[in-house]
Amino acid sequence: MPKITIDGREIEAPANAMLLPVALENGVHVPHYCWHAKLSVDGSCRMCQVEIEGSPKLVIACNTPVREGMVVRTQTPAVQNARRGVMELLLVNHPLDCPICDKAGECLLQDYSYAFGSRQTRTKEPRRKLQKRKEIGPRMILDQERCILCRRCVRFCREITHTNELGVFNMGDRSMLDVMEGQPLANDYSINTADICPVGALESKDFHHKLRVWFLKKTPSVCPSCSNGCNITVHHYRDRIWRMMPRRNDAVNESWMCDHGRLNYQQVGDETRLRQPQLRRTAKLQTVAWDEALGYVARTLRDTVRTHGAESVGVIASPHLTNEELFRLGQVVSLLGTKNVDTALVVGQGDNLLIKPEKAANARGARDMGLRPTAGGLNVAAMLEAAAAGKLRVLYILGSDVWKVADPQALCGALEKVGCLIVQDVFDSPLTERAQVVLPSLTWAEKTGTFTNVKGRVQQIHRAVAPRDEQPSDGEIFSRLLNQLGEGQWHFEATAVLEEIASAVPAYAGISFARVGAQGFALPESAGDAA
Amino acid sequence: MATQTVAVRRPLAMRAGFIRSAFAILKGLWITNRHFWRNLWGFIIRKPTVFTVQFPEERLVQPNAFRGMPVLVQMDNGKERCVACGLCEWACPTDCITIYPAETADEIERYPRVFDIDMSRCMFCGLCEEACPEEAIVMSQNVEICAYSRRGTLWHKDDLLVPVDKLLDTRLFHVRRGYDR
Repeated sequence: MPKITIDGREIEAPANAMLLPVALENGVHVPHYCWHAKLSVDGSCRMCQVEIEGSPKLVIACNTPVREGMVVRTQTPAVQNARRGVMELLLVNHPLDCPICDKAGECLLQDYSYAFGSRQTRTKEPRRKLQKRKEIGPRMILDQERCILCRRCVRFCREITHTNELGVFNMGDRSMLDVMEGQPLANDYSINTADICPVGALESKDFHHKLRVWFLKKTPSVCPSCSNGCNITVHHYRDRIWRMMPRRNDAVNESWMCDHGRLNYQQVGDETRLRQPQLRRTAKLQTVAWDEALGYVARTLRDTVRTHGAESVGVIASPHLTNEELFRLGQVVSLLGTKNVDTALVVGQGDNLLIKPEKAANARGARDMGLRPTAGGLNVAAMLEAAAAGKLRVLYILGSDVWKVADPQALCGALEKVGCLIVQDVFDSPLTERAQVVLPSLTWAEKTGTFTNVKGRVQQIHRAVAPRDEQPSDGEIFSRLLNQLGEGQWHFEATAVLEEIASAVPAYAGISFARVGAQGFALPESAGDAA
Repeated sequence: MATQTVAVRRPLAMRAGFIRSAFAILKGLWITNRHFWRNLWGFIIRKPTVFTVQFPEERLVQPNAFRGMPVLVQMDNGKERCVACGLCEWACPTDCITIYPAETADEIERYPRVFDIDMSRCMFCGLCEEACPEEAIVMSQNVEICAYSRRGTLWHKDDLLVPVDKLLDTRLFHVRRGYDR
């Protein structure tokens, strides 16, 4: 462990580490453009120059390994002069696009220009003209004039996605960033290049000219699109989500997230969402009050269990719900006494970077909370068969994944035979068309709770946008059902339910929101996945 | 508790202040009286000296620096100069500006799809004008923002657009002179 001194402070650095990350970790801010924690060192921006005692010239901190007894100064006049020079060179050709640039407000060039640049321009020559607004992929736009040639995106495409679409062409002051001929930036992780771009050269089409970044409020959360559970920050404003950004978590997603997950927020603010419970009294679904709908559901479930036995009720759970909600659902199921409970899970394509085949955030959590058929119980396919044979009188379906999983013909046949179909979902679907009762569900962005990812890491999600019309969460719906079905006063409060989980589910023993924290809590290895 | 009377002797300076304020009242009365008699005399000799403006038939000519409601500058091609950078929205102390940007195929690629000013909240401070990097929002001479409903005080982009020629010899003249200095 070499000991070094930065600005008079003694710091113990890990062996073979580079100077820049050591300084940043210890709270010494050394400005940098091309260095990124998850990419290789390039050393092309020259912004991180520092003074080292005994060295004849300034050196770049990102490519200088720490050495025992090294004395580093980051605030000397020589360093400040070098930074001002670098800034001036970068700004020679950088267009004055700040008012229309989406990066303005989170742009490193802006920030460092305020902090280290000079206030005047000395050049009078016209700025370099290159291509603006170039479509380089289905989700990305390139503005070559704004690029400062830090090559972060080039390294990302080379080292992380191994697709090599981007490159710097020409030499010297004619260098410019572009995509390879006939090879658009179309990989599944392309929008990450917009995140790591220190300026507004690479922009996501989805967020292009949408909102100034300084209005955005940030809520840490977890991506709901697959079971990898990438840590994200939800950027929202005026109760609407505007974009999602990856949040660094070295155990899960490092600094990246896939484009599919990132663009999967539109459903939250969709106008066609179900907002009110509906009940089919005649041929048509009618909007009813919550108490009426839940009363009907509870009455139907209780009467069916009483007259036809618990085995005539089936529950198909959704792996999009939080652990807390699924735990409450489990309580409803055990109160009914039915063994016919399963989770409908869409399994698709995965890759070896982040995307996992299980296309739901909490597939593992649903298994851990016991929402799968136990001995004598029916799974999804068997439930549909039983329904088609007229043995299943009430089917309670959460989410619409079963529509994608089951054979459509078998499903339609089964649903026609079911006496009472209860559907709880976010959107209208072929399921709600056939339902007796429709209960609207909340999306992940409107609730607080935990998801368990495929590797058994429990992570928190937080409410980013408020639900409309005080719409209750799914957990609240289950709690109210419990109140109607049996004795007791159940409420739904995620913190309290997680405590219940901690004492009821062995694998989750001792878990709490405090222990889950911002970076998640890995379940012990012994608590293997039930699947 | 028994009350106790304390005789207070005010310092001389305070008593002098009382005399001064009494004098100020007399002075104010004198000004009112002077105007009253002057106006009366004016009526008698048929040369009235009243300052009242018979609004709305008569209107005052405001100085160039006058800050009325903010308006959007319209370029010669009929489009707004605003690029929806959002700095006025950010600078506004009363949060009365709402902007949603969008993209066009024009050379200036960004424009405000929605530009609303809630005139019932605007306090004519002019910080939006100061924040604007494009000289796209300026204060006008207009202060007539009354409406029959709250909704009517919400001005949209089309209501706010004013051709640049109309502003050149008033507020814009003043703003540019300020920057030249």
